[in-house]
Amino acid sequence: MLPLAWTYLKIGLIFFGGGYVLIPLLQHLLVDQYRWLTLREFLDGVAISQLTPGPLAMLATFTGVRVGGFVGGLIATICIFLPCIVLMLVVGRYYARLKEIDLIRNALDNVLPAVVGLVASAAWSLGATLGTLREWLLLTAAFAVFRWTKVNPMIMILGAGAVGMLLP
Amino acid sequence: MTPDTAPRSQVSLWEIFALFCKVGLTGFGGGMAIVALTERMVVKEKQWVTPEEFLHGLAFGQILGPFSLNTCTFVGYRLRGVPGGLLAAVGFLLPSFLIVSLLAWLYLRFQHLQLLKKALAATNPVVIGLICAVVLDMGKKQLNGTGGWLLGITAFAAAALFKVNLALVLAAAAAWAFAAALYQRRAS
Repeated sequence: MLPLAWTYLKIGLIFFGGGYVLIPLLQHLLVDQYRWLTLREFLDGVAISQLTPGPLAMLATFTGVRVGGFVGGLIATICIFLPCIVLMLVVGRYYARLKEIDLIRNALDNVLPAVVGLVASAAWSLGATLGTLREWLLLTAAFAVFRWTKVNPMIMILGAGAVGMLLP
Repeated sequence: MTPDTAPRSQVSLWEIFALFCKVGLTGFGGGMAIVALTERMVVKEKQWVTPEEFLHGLAFGQILGPFSLNTCTFVGYRLRGVPGGLLAAVGFLLPSFLIVSLLAWLYLRFQHLQLLKKALAATNPVVIGLICAVVLDMGKKQLNGTGGWLLGITAFAAAALFKVNLALVLAAAAAWAFAAALYQRRAS
């Protein structure tokens, strides 16, 4: 359980640029490096974590449960969120005095292009799991819906699941 | 540094926990939808924090981790200090944690069922489509000028084509970003 805790704590510490950066980070560590779960299971996990109101980071709970059962999920969840919760408690205490905020904000803006590149790399390697024409059509359709409408991802995922059950 | 204005103490810890549980249970839509819901509840309805304070919390919330969770932690802290912040965070995450744990357990138990396999197989391309849409959306906002494009493409190439350790890529990008921010401040 210790390597598990350490892994998620590490991710929690370098988790900037919003929730989506977690997809490349977790995929890289858990699928490519440690081989704790397969790419398919990982993708299923992303879909499942989108079915809750919590942040996309609930993906940590799913992967934790996959690796170490309920306790694994609990440890993964605590460790991934611990750094940002502690940081926010410190910020809450000193927030009126954090004069360096402009510097932090600018640094953050400067790092975001790299985050975009990393999230794109996740789409790239996850796309390698798709084989059939039907899957590529589904991807294109989903992309178009997300791009041009404001449909909730949860609805889309539930809808896709229902369609998948009906199709031969 | 010394702490500024002491956190208010009229709101009970239980109230904080219960409110953020409600946010964590009903805030479907994630991210900004959660923030909007939280704002309506703690700023407009309960008037626990001022709109300015809430916006500051949101701004700081972008530094590390998910900003929806961070905004909740911040509001909880402003109300009742560390216990308030912790209870707000736990309350917000608890419903999702329980739902995901249950779904993950069901998934691992019934993974082999043909019907579930078919349903999940159809969700995989949708998830990738969602990630592509996010890339385009973030890219439009964040990839400004040659420098931004260069950094984005370098990060992509390092991660996707050369399989460089992602933590390393992020750390390098962060160091570069901080140096650039320092330089910008000097220049202005």
